[in-house]
Amino acid sequence: MLLLLLLLRFSGAGVRMKGGLRLVVLLMLSVESSSLSPPGKPVLLGCRSPEKETFTCWWKPGLDGGLPTVHRLYYEREQLEGTHECPDYRSAGSNSCFFDKNHTYIWVDYHVMVEASNALGNVPSDPLKFDVMEIVRPYAPENVTLMVEEKQESPYLHIRWKHPSNTVSRSGWITIKYQLRVKQENSNDWKNYTSGTQMGFSLYSIHPGAVYEVQVRCTLDHSSWSEWSNTTFVKIPNYLQNERPFGILVSIFSTIPVVAALCVLVTKRKYVKRFLLPPVPGPKIRGVDVQLLKSGKSEDVLGALIVNQNFPPMVARKDQMEEYLIVSDGGEWLLPAPLKSQKKKKSSFIPAGFHLDSQCKESTPSQVQENKDEMKSSSNLEQKQEFSGINFAAADLQKGASENFMQRLPNSGYVDIQRQENIVEVDGILVDYSRVKEVNGDNVFILQKENVPLSLDVQRREESMSEDYSRVKEVNGDNVVLLQKQNGSDDSFCTEKGNRYTHCTNQTQRNPHMTGLSKIGVCTDLSSDGYVDTIPAPSLI
Amino acid sequence: MAQRRTNGSKLLMTVLCVVAACRAVPVTDLLDRASQRSDRLHSLSTMLTQELDSHFPPIGRVIMPRPAMCHTSSLQTPNDKEQALQVSESDLLSLARSLLRAWVDPLLVLSSSANTLPHPAQNSISNKIQELQEHSKSLGDGLNVLSGKMGPAAQTMSLLPYRGGNDLGQDKISKLINFQFLLSCLRRDSHKIDSFLKVLRCRAARMQPEMC
Repeated sequence: MLLLLLLLRFSGAGVRMKGGLRLVVLLMLSVESSSLSPPGKPVLLGCRSPEKETFTCWWKPGLDGGLPTVHRLYYEREQLEGTHECPDYRSAGSNSCFFDKNHTYIWVDYHVMVEASNALGNVPSDPLKFDVMEIVRPYAPENVTLMVEEKQESPYLHIRWKHPSNTVSRSGWITIKYQLRVKQENSNDWKNYTSGTQMGFSLYSIHPGAVYEVQVRCTLDHSSWSEWSNTTFVKIPNYLQNERPFGILVSIFSTIPVVAALCVLVTKRKYVKRFLLPPVPGPKIRGVDVQLLKSGKSEDVLGALIVNQNFPPMVARKDQMEEYLIVSDGGEWLLPAPLKSQKKKKSSFIPAGFHLDSQCKESTPSQVQENKDEMKSSSNLEQKQEFSGINFAAADLQKGASENFMQRLPNSGYVDIQRQENIVEVDGILVDYSRVKEVNGDNVFILQKENVPLSLDVQRREESMSEDYSRVKEVNGDNVVLLQKQNGSDDSFCTEKGNRYTHCTNQTQRNPHMTGLSKIGVCTDLSSDGYVDTIPAPSLI
Repeated sequence: MAQRRTNGSKLLMTVLCVVAACRAVPVTDLLDRASQRSDRLHSLSTMLTQELDSHFPPIGRVIMPRPAMCHTSSLQTPNDKEQALQVSESDLLSLARSLLRAWVDPLLVLSSSANTLPHPAQNSISNKIQELQEHSKSLGDGLNVLSGKMGPAAQTMSLLPYRGGNDLGQDKISKLINFQFLLSCLRRDSHKIDSFLKVLRCRAARMQPEMC
């Protein structure tokens, strides 16, 4: 019987057959279909709620069984007693069941099943368990319209659509979100865009002359997505060609004034330069000839300057040999390192007001800097008007070596004795040395001048610079130092200037007023910052 | 001195006015923010159930407890559109708040179980549950503020205690089943909260149809 059925079906489907043959087959079938059977098991295909207010279920019937078969849908619901039958079999088409608003409840579970029955029996399908919330799936959006809009010479595509049918949402019960996809006609590359709840979208990245396809779909409360809407096509017209000549014209016209301005600038560059970079006025120093400056002889210039300022005449020093002592006022003594152990206490103080704080020219600029700093710091201490004594570096008595070096003590001014030829660098300080002849008292070293190979040099230098320095002859009172004018030996004196003090060398004299004072080879200058600048006398003896 | 005092009092007045004006965030704005958060909550819970379902033992679907066993099923809520539209605003808000509050403890249980969940997407699930907790907390705070503005009826809350204990099960199957069951309850409740708040938002924004 099955074979006959199959034969009938094939023949009916494809090839045209003679009416007679068909009748024969049917007759044979009817004879043979005495074996009727209950219907085949139906299959529940699924249910769908497009707007969260109604839902529909569809099924697929099983095999017929030869007899008229009726399908019935039964459901049970949470919070509802008993089993109920489908309220509407027609509205949604055949093999469907439509639940209207009155029968649709959300957030409750439904148990649905379909039963196929014929005269021979009933066959139930597998049940379907669901909550309406889970089966929500809206229809596709409708009326997708595309419009090419032109704004500021860049065309864009404006896409609009309407909400799916049956979903008039004015109560906030449903929230629909949209998604669209776009592709060019020839490619297979869809580009997805999310539109949220808006029912319009603007696409800016379009190519003129291309054809675009657009589809839209939606979701309701994060449910499953609807189907894609029907494809809508649009062709973008070619705008760009019209724009180009205009753009070229504009660019040409805008460059003309620029070029003109450049030409003007180039031809009048001198004026421009004068305008932008005004010439700097030359220097005007009273009494100084600009031409002299320009000629470049520094000595003449210096001389001119000095003359003008009424400086005491000085010869420009070349390689100066300077002697000076480091004088400290901090109560500490400058001692050469080996003699450190012999460091002694402060001696008696020189009467107030006498502040031996001087600084001579040094040969190293760094030292000058430091000395100046110390000068300043020590000049601060000057206020105290205390004086602890004069320290100066002394030679190494024991060794007799010709090294003496200074220790710089903090907050002290100092004078460096230096002899250039015999300069030894110790601790970064260029020092020269002389021999101590005698130690007087606690803090007096008398330097020996001769019998030291160095001193010869000193003397030589002394002679050469005889007119350049002076010696302290005598110290008078608190703040007077008398400088000796002539070369060499005993007495020298210098004068005070202002509030500052000058240090003078005093070889043999020991001023009773200044018990702490001893021989110093010193130079000071009487400039405004307080020291007398003289070429230092060589060592004291 | 008098000049300074008048200036000071003027300043005080302006500050008070500004504060008073600032405090008056419109209810529609608050509702909009709240419904955005509830939307995110529902989206997360939906994704969670789908993710868990992707690798779910078929037997589990059969022996899954019924949704009536959810710990929030005792709460009477509207079940269709007409009913929902007839509920008053304060009741809607109170329902949303009660539901949200009922999930604080179960979310903790879910979060701790997610660390050891025998599932291939365990990491993603764990992250989503974290996010759920954060959104739930901030939504709860926002709804508290809202209820303060909507009168005493909105302040009432129903207590829906969770009695499931801290452990979701000893073996792998029961763990997964209970996890999925809790998530399905959560999905239902988050949908309820989302729907109620969106109905509220539309109702409050009569002048702004785009809110509906």
